[in-house]
Amino acid sequence: MLENLTGRLLELLPFGFFHFFAMLITLCSLMTILSRNPVKSAIFLVINLFLLAGVYALLESHFVAAIQILVYAGAITVLFVFVIMLLNLKAEAGPRFNLNVLDMLMFLICGLGIVLVAARLATSGLPGVEAITDGSSQALKQLGGHTLVVASVLMTKYIWPFEIASFLILLAIIASVVIARKEEVKK
Amino acid sequence: MNLIELSFILAIVVFMLGFIGILTRRNLIMTLISIELMLNAVNLVFVGASRLHQNVDGQIMVLFVITVAACEAAVGLAMVIALYRRYGTIENDFFRILRG
Repeated sequence: MLENLTGRLLELLPFGFFHFFAMLITLCSLMTILSRNPVKSAIFLVINLFLLAGVYALLESHFVAAIQILVYAGAITVLFVFVIMLLNLKAEAGPRFNLNVLDMLMFLICGLGIVLVAARLATSGLPGVEAITDGSSQALKQLGGHTLVVASVLMTKYIWPFEIASFLILLAIIASVVIARKEEVKK
Repeated sequence: MNLIELSFILAIVVFMLGFIGILTRRNLIMTLISIELMLNAVNLVFVGASRLHQNVDGQIMVLFVITVAACEAAVGLAMVIALYRRYGTIENDFFRILRG
């Protein structure tokens, strides 16, 4: 009886964590787009990215979760905060609420889309979701876990995209230096 | 409802919030931050689909998306700095050079 209860609790634990994360992510996303102060927005973005890393870990993508924290929450957001501080921005005067008909129509379509897709997912579920069993997860564990499998696939099947990505980063470094460089005054 | 469906719903919500952020905010940096939100929603869908199909290709796509997002943030913020230096403002509505 007690073992049964513990097993049931362990089954429900990921769901509890997921709902906790999802609630906080929605809240932080809202705060990100609603804060008047860009610095506050960036801080809420960091919190959001950390919580998303938690969701990735719940979905058993441990490597992606680690990279999310290292690259996204660590590097990209620092870049944002740095630029915001550099520009010394004042808080905005407020969102533009002089919506015209086209904007209203766009919001309406967005809202309708959210409601429709959520209702579709809530009522019938995705096709094929039921097909998953825990067996394949066990098989992945026997192969050495997600991280090992990701690494081996990345280094074999996706080696060319990987190299091209490194070249893209090089190009981005050069481009950002050239674009942000101070223009020389022509005489 | 299992974790994958729930994460898809969460991704829809985050994506739409990012989209609304792009539409309503009038600051170029806020536009970039909203784009980051939308990219994260897409990453969440990739990870969920990877779990759904028990296939790690989705997770590798997330790594590439993160790479491209980092490049986009770097170049975009460099452009923001250049625009601020040139015009003294980064309000969205100010820039209408390309408008005929």
